[in-house]
Amino acid sequence: MESVKSLVPPASRACIVLASLVIAACAGNGEGLDANGRPLVPGGGGALPPLSADFDSIQANIFTPICSVCHMGGSAPEGLRLDAANSFNLLVGVPSTEVPSLLRVKPGDPDNSYIIQKLEGHQAVGNQMPNGCPTSQPCLTTSTIAFIRQWITNGAPPSATATAAATVHAAAPLAITSIVPDDLEPVSASPPQIMIAFNHDLDVTQIDSRSMHIEKLNPGAPPVVSEIIPAHLTVSSANPGALMVWPSLPLSSGHYRVVINAGTPPQFSDIAGHSLVVGAPDELGDSVISTFDVEVLP
Amino acid sequence: MIQRLTIAALMLAIVALLRTAPAQAEPYLAVMTGYKCNVCHVNPTGGGLRNEFGVTYAKLLLPAETVDNTLDAWTGKVTDRLRVGGDLRADWTRVTTPNSPSQQSFQLEQLRVYADLTIIPDRLGLYVDEQIAPDGSINEEAYVRYGNTQDGFYIKGGQFYLPFGWRLQDQTAFVRQVTGINMTTPDKGVELGYEHAAWSAQFDVTNGAANATTGQGYQVTTQVVYTKPIWRVGIAGSSTQSDLGDRRVGGLFAGLRTGPIAWLAEADLVRDESLPGGRTLTAGLLEGDWRLRKGHNLKLTAEYEDPDRSVSNDQQTRYSIVYEYTPLPFLQLRAGYRHYFGIPQNNTQNQQVILMELHGYF
Repeated sequence: MESVKSLVPPASRACIVLASLVIAACAGNGEGLDANGRPLVPGGGGALPPLSADFDSIQANIFTPICSVCHMGGSAPEGLRLDAANSFNLLVGVPSTEVPSLLRVKPGDPDNSYIIQKLEGHQAVGNQMPNGCPTSQPCLTTSTIAFIRQWITNGAPPSATATAAATVHAAAPLAITSIVPDDLEPVSASPPQIMIAFNHDLDVTQIDSRSMHIEKLNPGAPPVVSEIIPAHLTVSSANPGALMVWPSLPLSSGHYRVVINAGTPPQFSDIAGHSLVVGAPDELGDSVISTFDVEVLP
Repeated sequence: MIQRLTIAALMLAIVALLRTAPAQAEPYLAVMTGYKCNVCHVNPTGGGLRNEFGVTYAKLLLPAETVDNTLDAWTGKVTDRLRVGGDLRADWTRVTTPNSPSQQSFQLEQLRVYADLTIIPDRLGLYVDEQIAPDGSINEEAYVRYGNTQDGFYIKGGQFYLPFGWRLQDQTAFVRQVTGINMTTPDKGVELGYEHAAWSAQFDVTNGAANATTGQGYQVTTQVVYTKPIWRVGIAGSSTQSDLGDRRVGGLFAGLRTGPIAWLAEADLVRDESLPGGRTLTAGLLEGDWRLRKGHNLKLTAEYEDPDRSVSNDQQTRYSIVYEYTPLPFLQLRAGYRHYFGIPQNNTQNQQVILMELHGYF
């Protein structure tokens, strides 16, 4: 004891006592907060499942609490919505809008997946995500990104819940499960793509650029088509259940709808031969998949 | 050995006298020695390329053992006008997150090279800091500097790190993450600096990280430090105007030497309007560096973060113990343990990290 005292002068001992008092500050007990440290709201979630290299866990631990704060709804940057309903379809096998040569998630190849480069802060893909990291919030740790890497290395399989549901409902007719932008939804910028998700994998041999187009409507009753915007259609082999409709030019402010081209045999069927069931034609006689408003901010 | 140390001390004294102002390396070394940043570093705000005094200090006074070899003549100078240096850090880390399997890996954290070209002595120079691995070449700093960085005014323009608080080696420290000003976030703009006696001050106008893609708004950062032999105190502030929402940061930091221990403290307050609803954040750091003997340093750190002052029970703390052993000139071994404490429902806020690092530099 005496030797320790001789090693540490009185001033240092005083500082050590002071430091010990400061160190006594404790972490929060988390009471009344969700797993992201935000106040609980009625119906909100509680404790998170442990982070692992599967889509459900990554969605719950990363995409939902961190990314979907911004990447959600009609103002989602780059049209990329990372809420649980849309993230898989808008990530896997989909070219990024910032660097179209890179897929957002390239199954089996994390190094050449845009999301990994974006999270790790590679210069070629612009600002590091999460947005403002490390300025206004921490970047994801290497170990956290490692789980996403491993999921991609494993082939970026979909949610176990979605896979189970698809198996159970294999005999159901082909139907649309979600659309981005959704019907009657306003978006704050020209959407780089319109995503149409289906309950079954599509038969891609029947789909080409004649299958669908986008129309701009002038207001009126009935509305008048003022412009037809050709669209390029893609279905990624990594995710054959999602159809991407790429407008051939940026959409200016206005009212739009996505239309299945008329006068052709049913072009949307799944790999089991089930044809797409769409609603009755609208007042113009067209099969409309979605209508949405673009409100480009100045 | 005593004779060698005496010679080393004399050499350092001579070099220090020849220079009108000295420099710093790790901030605890600055506090331990009473030097300003520019005593050991070319960059007047510290970090990066070491100057002649810094290299000599690294060769003779930092390591446990000095060795006689051809590096004895090395001072970082390639020619009278060109100085170079570098840092390589290779890590092994094991991260344990509650309810998840531990992850461990070897990593090349960084290989960086520095160069400083003196165009007109004591007036005009070019400085480059380039990370060349991993992930290819990334420019960290590149600026032209005019004026005297040792005594008087200087101005630099280009890309550089902003002066704010302690320029810690650990960029994941809460104070560096919350303020967003650290050695992973260089910015482009101009800096007006002033160095005189105990005073050091900088005033920066830069793009601001939030404006990198919008091209609108600026970040204004300023820092003033007063340095005495056994203590120092500094104040820093930064304001960013951005379409995403304005961000203002204020910080106080201080250093004190008590015997063999150098103490560093920093407290920061952030008001960030770019976050939903606007948030006020705070972060604090208390670090003690105990120089047990020459070449051996025990670093104990306690940190605190409140990510939203308006929300209760969300605070986070982090405690670290790191042993730094510098057996030979230009070689350092580091081993440490960090424990994060956060809200129990968030696993990543309760991680434990074991780290080992090999650090080579010249």
